Amino acid sequence: MWKRLLLIRGAELLMFAVLAAIPVAVQNSYALGLLTLLAIYGILLIGLDVTVGYLGQVNLAQAAFLGLGAYTAALCVTKLGSLMLVATLAAIVVCTILGALLALPSLRLEGPQFALATLSFTALTVIVLNELEWLTGGAQGLSLTRPPILGHALTAREFYWLCVALLALVWVAMRNLLASQWGRAFEALRDSPIATDAMGVGTYRHKVAAFALGSALGGLAGALYAFNFQYLQPQAFTYELTVILLLGVVLGGRKSLWGAFVGASLVALLPNLLSNRLLFEVISAAGFALALFAGIRGLFRKTLGPFQAIAPIVATGVLVFGGLLVSNTEDWRKAIFSLMLFSVVVGLPEGLMGFASKFLSRLFRIPEAPRPAPSPLDRALPARSVGKGGPMLELRDLKRYFGGVKAVDGVTTTVRAGEIHGLIGPNGSGKSTLVNVVSGLYTPTAGEMLLHGHPLPRGSLYKTAQDGVARTFQNLQLFTGMTAIENVMVALNGVYKRSRSLPLVLLGLGRVEEKRAEADALALLEFVGLGDQARTPAKDLTYGAQRFLEIARAIARKPEVLILDEPAAGLSHPDMHRQMELIERVHQRGVTILIIEHHMDVISELCDTVTVLDGGKLIAEGSPDEVKRHPKVVEAYLGEVDVGEKPAAPAAR
Amino acid sequence: MTLSIFAQLVVSGALIGLVYALIAYGFQLTFATSKSINFGQGELVMVSAFFSLTLITVGLPYWLVIPCGLLFGAALGLFVERAAVRLALQQKSEGWILLTIILGLFFFSLAENIWGRDDRPFPTPISQTAIQILGVDVTPVELSVAVGVFAIMGLIEVFKRQTLVGKAFEAVSADPDAGELMGISATHTVMLSYALSGIVAALAGILVSPITTVGPTMASALILKAFSVAVVAGLESGFGVVIVGMFLGALEGVASFALGSGWREVPGLILLILALAVRPTGIFGKAIIRKV
Repeated sequence: MWKRLLLIRGAELLMFAVLAAIPVAVQNSYALGLLTLLAIYGILLIGLDVTVGYLGQVNLAQAAFLGLGAYTAALCVTKLGSLMLVATLAAIVVCTILGALLALPSLRLEGPQFALATLSFTALTVIVLNELEWLTGGAQGLSLTRPPILGHALTAREFYWLCVALLALVWVAMRNLLASQWGRAFEALRDSPIATDAMGVGTYRHKVAAFALGSALGGLAGALYAFNFQYLQPQAFTYELTVILLLGVVLGGRKSLWGAFVGASLVALLPNLLSNRLLFEVISAAGFALALFAGIRGLFRKTLGPFQAIAPIVATGVLVFGGLLVSNTEDWRKAIFSLMLFSVVVGLPEGLMGFASKFLSRLFRIPEAPRPAPSPLDRALPARSVGKGGPMLELRDLKRYFGGVKAVDGVTTTVRAGEIHGLIGPNGSGKSTLVNVVSGLYTPTAGEMLLHGHPLPRGSLYKTAQDGVARTFQNLQLFTGMTAIENVMVALNGVYKRSRSLPLVLLGLGRVEEKRAEADALALLEFVGLGDQARTPAKDLTYGAQRFLEIARAIARKPEVLILDEPAAGLSHPDMHRQMELIERVHQRGVTILIIEHHMDVISELCDTVTVLDGGKLIAEGSPDEVKRHPKVVEAYLGEVDVGEKPAAPAAR
Repeated sequence: MTLSIFAQLVVSGALIGLVYALIAYGFQLTFATSKSINFGQGELVMVSAFFSLTLITVGLPYWLVIPCGLLFGAALGLFVERAAVRLALQQKSEGWILLTIILGLFFFSLAENIWGRDDRPFPTPISQTAIQILGVDVTPVELSVAVGVFAIMGLIEVFKRQTLVGKAFEAVSADPDAGELMGISATHTVMLSYALSGIVAALAGILVSPITTVGPTMASALILKAFSVAVVAGLESGFGVVIVGMFLGALEGVASFALGSGWREVPGLILLILALAVRPTGIFGKAIIRKV
């Protein structure tokens, strides 16, 4: 454990020490300028990584926030005569607000649409900065002098140290955040927004928070940018910069502070590296050799597809041989950058640091972080004493229509406390729609839903989950990119108190709760029989294990009502038995269960009451045995049997 | 602003808007088959226009330049599909967004170095002198935009509806997996859609260049507007992009007169963000029902 801490923290400390020491050793104002830019871009890209890496969205607005932060700070200084601290705070506040405002309409957007919305924001920002000449000076630019801090005028070297100190601060704060419930919520959002809401985490506030936070860092970087260059022009913050920033994050490696730092170094230093012919040739040749080596190795070991192996070789090859033909590499800056990026995106999808961290952890044999002892089950899933038989969940004349299709057409039923209530019916009878309405995925067209006699929220997965109804999904909705234990931790209810407040998390005050959450989650994983696979990514679990993980995640909500949507679908026979036994054990802890299932033996064995739907209507209700003999049920499953007609006699031979 | 000036602004704006609609139509073609669009489409328009300009300066007659330019566009489209899109689609990731941006950057740099950074005029045999129609001045070049746009969109729509390959195209758009089971190669269909999208982009370049001149910066200027049109109209309806394209073009013309030319793009961008907020699938797009 100490080795892990020493190596990881040691590397960070060493990097910051080196960064701080360089200007003492090298007295070169040009190099100092580059280093300052590196520190500023470092902050900027860490902010960008929140949306790009953790939320998994292509964000093309970061250059705009850099510009907005820079102009805000500059205007505070020139027009209002603010101090450096005030101007910087103003830049952060303006960008946080604008970031949150932009996030609001972009909330429902995914993938390309999100990229487009942010791209238009960048274009809009540049136009406004250009056209508001009375305020910003337009294309003429805006000059300012760096204001003193605490009455002391900073030298270039002192300003650089300030930037490095801020970078270190941001680094630590983000590390705290990303290792907390917030960071996990961001990742959960990326993998399945529906399940994130259904686990009571709230996609809304986390998406806005992530975007606002990234934008705030853009604002901070912008203010420093303004104080560094002391001259601003709108043209510096266009589409081109935003693309280069985005690609910097991808090149360095997403979801990694080191990756953002490496990306920032490349973005800041690259133009200067390219102007040195020899350096360019060395870099491109090294890239070509690496692509050649990795490509051929990947082809032989069949770890890479032909395209993934060959395309980087071709791209770096073009780089090397094109470099020989071209007289001035600086003119070809963008082409060179795009070729390098292309090779990295295709060949090393996890970026330079994603690749390097795997390699280094193998090299130094860095052990995994230790696991805490699981907490007692009574803490992770307290046994509930329920008055058996009282109404728990009441549905009154519930309807849900899709256009003319009456998927659920007036269902009235009561799920009693402490029971396992089955919901069956032929395909298309409206079972899934019914639980989707109850759990809040769909808004009911009409009707009432009551939990303990109080109305349930309508059409909000998040609020329904908060009210104590948890569910699993027929088509698994796990957070595939996260480990089993992280999946459960996202859903944990009642553990996080302090961690709800973003500032406390940034200060690193959520650690105690983290430990407890880990212990609780582990207890739940052991409860469903996945204790030894806690660190396995959800996508690498077997299908059966994924079904069990869904249940573990749902009971982490400590629900009153648990809705299981075809939990046994596609399970092997032994797994199905283990699962029935698991459902029974969950039930014994006082959880009321509503289960959709096609396997009649599961229903007969588990359920106290069964409701049968057909064509969106309730056709029968009662104990499993009663329901099985009910003529309408027989008809729905087997078709109409006309009593008066004899079965056709076999044809005479 | 008198009524006649207003009418003039609306008509010339709407005609230019048809070019945005055409580029947006290119997005629709690829989105239909693969749920992906080329973020570097503007560079495709620009490079094809430069290529056609080179052919003209070499001495090829205009009417021969058009098919050559379109073929070149198709080739570029196929290149984008192979280099930037196919892998991401196989991995079911959104990596194509990044990769098409990267390719766009590469094309941009290429154009900058081969053809220079300056805007250049694009000669055309079609007359540039205005004629009056119902009191509004229109040049035949502007009218040629309308003719070209409607012709190519009509041709592609007829192709999709009337030919067997076109039916396959529609089938893959509806459900790629079911298409594969019926023996239609989804990969080939996606390739076809990218080739068509490249053709459409090239034609947009050839049509708009005589009016706006050719230069590397035309890429980003055009693509932003095409994005607006595609998003506001939705990525499904060809009819929708024409309507919205003409509307946005007209709006831009009026805004540039009323607010100053620097602000001309602002109404379109605001419209885009609003459309995304209110109706992310676009005015003419279908609403999506979430399923689990």
